[in-house]
Amino acid sequence: MTERPASPRASLFTKYFLALFAAAVGPLLVAGGSEAWFGYRDQRDRLSDLLDSEARLAAFKIEYFLQGISDQLEWMVQLPWSAGTDERRRLDALRLLRQVPPVMSLRLVDATGRERLFVSRIGLNRVESGDDHSDDPAALGAAAQGAWFGPVIFQGGSEPFLTVAVAGNRSAAGVAIAEVNLKFIWDVISAIQVGRTGEAFVLDAPGRLVAHPDISLVLRADDASTRPLQLLRSAILAQPGQAIAGRDTKGDAVMAAMAPIPMVEWSVIVKQPVAEAFGPIYAALWRTGVLLVAGTLFAALLAYWLSQRMIGPIRLLEDGVARIGAGQFDHRIELATGDEFERLAGRFNHMAGELAVSQERSERINRLKRFLAPQVAELIERSGDERVLDGRRVEVVAVFCDLRGFTAFAAQAQPEAIISVLGTYYDAMERVIAAHEATLTSFSGDGIMALVNAPVACPDPALRAVAMARAMQDCVQALLVDWRAAGHELGFGVGLAMGPATVGRIGSGGRLDYTAVGHVVNLASRLCASAKDREILADRTVARAVGTAVALTELEARPLKGFARHVPVFIVDAPRHDASRDNASAVIGESAPG
Amino acid sequence: MPVAGRDKFVSQPLGAHPAQAAPCRRDVLASMLAICVLPAAMTSARAQPSTLPVIGYLGSESPERYASRLGAFAQGLSEAGYVEGRDVSMLFRWADGQYRQLPALAKELADAGVTVMVAPGGAEVALAAKSATTSIPIVFELGGDPVALGLVASLAQPGGNMTGVTSLNVEVSRKRLEFMRELFPQAQLFAIAANPTSPTVKSQLANLDAAAATLGVELRVLHASTSDAFEELFTATRAIGAGGLVFTSDPYFTYRSRRLAELAAQHGVATITQSRDFPLAGGLMSYGGDFRQSHRHTGIYAGRILKGEKPADLPVQRVTKVELFINLKAAQALGLVVPPALLSSADMVIE
Repeated sequence: MTERPASPRASLFTKYFLALFAAAVGPLLVAGGSEAWFGYRDQRDRLSDLLDSEARLAAFKIEYFLQGISDQLEWMVQLPWSAGTDERRRLDALRLLRQVPPVMSLRLVDATGRERLFVSRIGLNRVESGDDHSDDPAALGAAAQGAWFGPVIFQGGSEPFLTVAVAGNRSAAGVAIAEVNLKFIWDVISAIQVGRTGEAFVLDAPGRLVAHPDISLVLRADDASTRPLQLLRSAILAQPGQAIAGRDTKGDAVMAAMAPIPMVEWSVIVKQPVAEAFGPIYAALWRTGVLLVAGTLFAALLAYWLSQRMIGPIRLLEDGVARIGAGQFDHRIELATGDEFERLAGRFNHMAGELAVSQERSERINRLKRFLAPQVAELIERSGDERVLDGRRVEVVAVFCDLRGFTAFAAQAQPEAIISVLGTYYDAMERVIAAHEATLTSFSGDGIMALVNAPVACPDPALRAVAMARAMQDCVQALLVDWRAAGHELGFGVGLAMGPATVGRIGSGGRLDYTAVGHVVNLASRLCASAKDREILADRTVARAVGTAVALTELEARPLKGFARHVPVFIVDAPRHDASRDNASAVIGESAPG
Repeated sequence: MPVAGRDKFVSQPLGAHPAQAAPCRRDVLASMLAICVLPAAMTSARAQPSTLPVIGYLGSESPERYASRLGAFAQGLSEAGYVEGRDVSMLFRWADGQYRQLPALAKELADAGVTVMVAPGGAEVALAAKSATTSIPIVFELGGDPVALGLVASLAQPGGNMTGVTSLNVEVSRKRLEFMRELFPQAQLFAIAANPTSPTVKSQLANLDAAAATLGVELRVLHASTSDAFEELFTATRAIGAGGLVFTSDPYFTYRSRRLAELAAQHGVATITQSRDFPLAGGLMSYGGDFRQSHRHTGIYAGRILKGEKPADLPVQRVTKVELFINLKAAQALGLVVPPALLSSADMVIE
């Protein structure tokens, strides 16, 4: 019973765990995954916007630098030229050089295209040289558009210069033409920072590097080394309005965006290392990943805990049921979960209690059945009152019976035969006694004692006792036929007496018997001893109690052991036996009972 | 590290130079320096891991004369991420005005196996460095055309083991004449001070001659290659009745601006030189490149080469800033009225 049933193929714990885990992790993964995806897209868009605005800001700054120079030049072309030397204008020009460091030299040309003034930081100044500049593209361009920006020229093959020309409102004011050293854009471009390490650079229309935070790249004026930057620009032009990934001059992966400066047809490109640009994206993805893992772990722990909580009571119930099943009815399943499990445990406990009561009852019945007829035992058990078994003095009919010739038989026969005969005999007697609701008080060898009217009273005890004796005789006589056929010379006699006796349970502990003590018991025993085969001997009290209901024949009073006087003896159904049987019976009857 | 009685051999941390050094007490000073610097130099040499790269610094003068230049160099070096003693160690060789010693000193630096050689302060130094090695990277600093001097193949792509910084000093000699002419519009004759030993003297004089022709003035060229000949320059200027004295660009003159200022004041000669040091010391005017910029860029290039870049790939940088300094006190002493055209062009007016 204590042996556990084989482990189930699929454990409830695994099922619950998987179900709970999936319930928690599924939504988490879906939410986390979509969050990561949309976050990534948003961040990418934001990065594109950010780089785009950085590019526009950088372009604005460069444009501001150029615009600042052309604004300064406008001062020089506000007044019309007079015929003679203009000392005031010379001073203005010198002040402009002082004020605008990128301007290396300034040439003022009047409406007729004659050079009126030239000031330079390096070369000699000239006043009223009168050189003809009427077909100078700068002068022509400025006259046509107001402001003119020339192509970038690398002086000495290295330093980028730009010619800026500005015309006055009136053609009489002439044109101011300045040579601008673009190295000064370095101050602007190097101050532009994109993110933490990102930077900006400027390409002119043919793709030459005009400005870069690393000025030596500009000064090298080397198309081959700035080729990656040109590729970057063409990639951006292919996908306008979007930040694109590419490589810079060092071969590092960068994200880049571009903004144009229309007045000089330059492109300002900002770039940021991919690792840095995507830093926030990677950080967000990483964060989401960590959260997902943490969430998954938490879900696993939660699922484990919940399953354990679910399975724990079930295990406890299983164990409890196993113990109860093993007969440990005092075992109680301790569960205080406050839910259905507690109720179920309560039911099991109740069941165990019921089982304990039931077992106790059945044990008691079994005990009672040892000496009481089953129905009597049931009766007593049902009444729940065993006081009926307590010692008291009542009128009883004691019935004794035993086999004639058993001692001799037992001395000769094989043990198997003896046990077989006794087994059959007891079996038959028990049935007969039970059928008459009499109380079987003891077996002793071949002798049996039974009581009628104790512990449970019954109507007409004497009559019942006689009927039982008769049944005993009939039953045993039927058996005797077989036994005699097997060569066992046995007989059967019954004695019964009625009278008051002390009855009750005697003995101690496990050996508790119900029995009767008194004169009547001795008398019945003696009567049985003196009865021959087939005979049922009764005393006077029985005879009287039976009256005429049974055919009784009074025999000659006979001396009985332990009785001072001859005792009157009645025989039930005096046998009509033939002489030969009679003889044999007499022989057997002489032997002592038991 | 040799610590001799002559301070040209004294190694010193950058920027830690005595403010004034009286030439007559140089030996005393040198021994004092040796006493002060030797333990520091030795401990620092011991503390430095031997793996530190070494910059060999070739100076045409003494540490005192180079003090401000060394400061600018250290600034540029630190902009490139190098600090002396922490990331890089310095090995100095000083010619102390003896320019003929420069090639030998450059050779010493090359033999010491320096990582990069820095040759600032003029064409002489750059040429000396070039003669010493063809493999060790060299960063020069000079006023002139390095292509014409044969130092590099082109400004954009130097090609060899040399690159550096050039200022416009040599080119703007003519502007000095122009400014002087602005001050003395009536004068027909101007004196020119030239150092005949300078590698750029020829081009500068040609340049000046052309300018004189344009301006319609005459020039008298006076030579001085040692400080002993300085006084002669001023007396001669006065003697010939020149409007003023115009100095050609030459480091030898530049590093002796104080002496020149003294002499100019003493002899009452209107003088213009290349370096701001001159008007700051009491001279009248200066027009030339900003040496602090050029030395700072030298430091940056030295740092970039230490980082592994090749001189051949680093284009020669031109310092574009040219500054005009005018000392009005000196003008007043000379009884001159500075015209507005000069004042409005001046980057700095000392009053």
